[in-house]
Amino acid sequence: MELLLLSRLQFAITAAFHFLFVPLTLGLALLVACMETVYYKNKDETWRKMADFWGKIFKINFAVGLVSGLTLTFQLGTNWGAYAEFMGDVFGPPLAVEALLAFFLEGTFFGAWIFLDRNRQKLKAFSMWMVALGTNISSLWIIIANGFMQHPVGYKMAADGSKVVMTDFFALITNNYVWYMLVHTLLSAYLLTAFVIMGICAYHFLKSNNNEVFRKSFRIAVTIALATSVLLPVLGHGYAQYVTELQPAKGAAMDAIWETGSSVPMYLIQLPDSSIGSNSVQLLGIPGLASFLYTGNISGTITGLNQLPQNELPPVEKIFWSFRLMTILGSLFILEALVGLYLQKSGKLYTSDKYLKLLMWSIPLPYIAITAGWIVAEVGRQPWMVYGLLRTANGISSVPTSDVLLSIVLISALYMILIVFEIYLIKKTVVNATGVE
Amino acid sequence: MFDLLTHDMLAVIWFLLWCVIWGVYFIVDSFSLGAGLLIPFIATDRVQRIQIQRSVGPFWGGNEVWLILAAGGTFAAFPLVFSKMFTFLYLPMMLLLIGLIARGISVEYLHKDENPHIQKAFTWGWFAGSLLISLVLGVAFANFFKGLEITSGGVYNGTLLGLFNLYALIGGVLFVFMSVTSGALWINVKTEGAIAAKAGDLAKKSTLIVLVLSLIFLVYSFVGIEGFMTNYSATPALYLLPILAIMASVLAVFFVKKDKGFPAFCSNLLAFFFVVQTGLASIYPYMLKSSVSLEYGIDIFEAASSHMTLSIMLGGALVFVPIVIIYQLLVYTLFKEKIKETEQADY
Repeated sequence: MELLLLSRLQFAITAAFHFLFVPLTLGLALLVACMETVYYKNKDETWRKMADFWGKIFKINFAVGLVSGLTLTFQLGTNWGAYAEFMGDVFGPPLAVEALLAFFLEGTFFGAWIFLDRNRQKLKAFSMWMVALGTNISSLWIIIANGFMQHPVGYKMAADGSKVVMTDFFALITNNYVWYMLVHTLLSAYLLTAFVIMGICAYHFLKSNNNEVFRKSFRIAVTIALATSVLLPVLGHGYAQYVTELQPAKGAAMDAIWETGSSVPMYLIQLPDSSIGSNSVQLLGIPGLASFLYTGNISGTITGLNQLPQNELPPVEKIFWSFRLMTILGSLFILEALVGLYLQKSGKLYTSDKYLKLLMWSIPLPYIAITAGWIVAEVGRQPWMVYGLLRTANGISSVPTSDVLLSIVLISALYMILIVFEIYLIKKTVVNATGVE
Repeated sequence: MFDLLTHDMLAVIWFLLWCVIWGVYFIVDSFSLGAGLLIPFIATDRVQRIQIQRSVGPFWGGNEVWLILAAGGTFAAFPLVFSKMFTFLYLPMMLLLIGLIARGISVEYLHKDENPHIQKAFTWGWFAGSLLISLVLGVAFANFFKGLEITSGGVYNGTLLGLFNLYALIGGVLFVFMSVTSGALWINVKTEGAIAAKAGDLAKKSTLIVLVLSLIFLVYSFVGIEGFMTNYSATPALYLLPILAIMASVLAVFFVKKDKGFPAFCSNLLAFFFVVQTGLASIYPYMLKSSVSLEYGIDIFEAASSHMTLSIMLGGALVFVPIVIIYQLLVYTLFKEKIKETEQADY
């Protein structure tokens, strides 16, 4: 039991840590690639400065993302050996393809992009496009692997029931779950990137340093922020319905719906309590809203947690609060983006100190929203590791508990140093960029 | 796809690919590891540190992906081996991981801050990471050749200390010196000025050390390791592998004496590649050989994935590995000029 807990803790720490760096990598790679290309086409120095500045941030961020990703590959063997044996036939190929198609592209061209000078701008821009392609393809393949854990398709059980065997590789790729998840993940990554850019620009605007580099960057970012923040809930609505069909327990936990019913209301104020199997407080119900959100129909029927198999329920409170947090932050992002666009169009942006400060302090928010979203997706899958096929408790390696404890301590200590230094470097880069050259 | 091939044939093909991918990883990463092992000792100032950093900067990241491919390929083609290898060697794998993290961050962050203490920390971080990576992998692979203490029912009885036996230590030190030599020759070939000359001189000694260590390791393998000879007796053509290893190592000594850096560099890589292949050829059909009794080992047929997975992966590898090799080589040609003494870190 202790071993299971420690193994899960280690995976949670390392996966969450890795994903602090992934979204910005996904978004900035594309943006910097665009900037490099525009500079190549029009030779406008502003675009060169933009590519240089955001490129610097990208480099610092990418390095940590790269090394922390190794941990996840290793852990599948060191800590989740039983899972690796059970799933290898299906899970291994997407991982290997990810390395072949994506990691080689990003790894190889990241180095090329850094060291190519501006005399070879065409190649430099091309290299960054390859990095962007690599990182974005990588997300597709890892989500294909993850998609199988959420919604197994294209497999059969081995004759002795000891493992899954692939029967249809194509089905893994066309798994609907994968595409819902991929779109959601990429959009949220671009949203995070936009808010990081807006926050950094806001810092400079507050210092009355509104040079062209930051003004242009802000204009681009605020447009992306608005588009992604609106698309996320619109498409997320379909995703939530789909997930509720696949994994009724996760869907019901997202809004803590305990009893089966139709025209289920959504409560604005709600305190779920799994020990009593109901909400200890529920106020301000909006009739039929939960039914609409999870079934697409205001009188739709939702299966309640109490009517689902009790030994297959995820930890309801964790899912509920994470989902609430994500959606509340998501609504805030729409507002911030709308206000930003208005202020920018009306020319009041550079003097709106309160809004600029809000933007600066908003930089951590998309990180929190994304982490909360992953908690809903992955903790919401519990107690299954592979939905319906393998319980998490049966996926671990039998290694000495003390070894796992030691590795958690070592990795956490190392990660603390990394993140402190990473933030220090990014902050330094931002602060020193007053007169971006 | 590949319906004509039986499952056993596919498993053998994948074992061969597995050996080659590991071999490629060892040689392509060896020069950035070697640069890390050398940088605190041979770079006397910032200019020389930048030269060393720039000599490997454009390449190390892409090269490290071969390790991820080796791990991912093991996972996809031989899930049982992936699971057992990483579980049995839990702590060594964690050390390897920490080495990889330390190396990666140090190379990238070395000159991102002007504070000399921070630069010093990352210089040593690069060294420590490189040492951990080459030593742990050397020790691990020597233990694979020797066999792990796997008893009946696939139960592992080995200890961390037990992994550091004499044979494995020789393997570890050999891997470290292979990397040192590779790094020294790379710096010699890729840079200009005092640092290039210094690295060239150093390579004169280290190629000799590699030759001696390789001889000791190979003789120990054939004479002192149980079961090592079996495949060689059955298929004497395999003796080509150790012969090529020694020939390449001798050539490296020869070329370095003649101040021919690049041929010496290539010879050293070949020596490294063939030493590894000599060991891997001895364990077939096992991937995790048991030192307790052969029957307890995990062989490729038992560990292999399904026919479908193996053939899809083979198709993928046949198409994409050549493409990867082509663009990686192209990137080498983009940065073919020697690195001059410069203050510009470009990081």
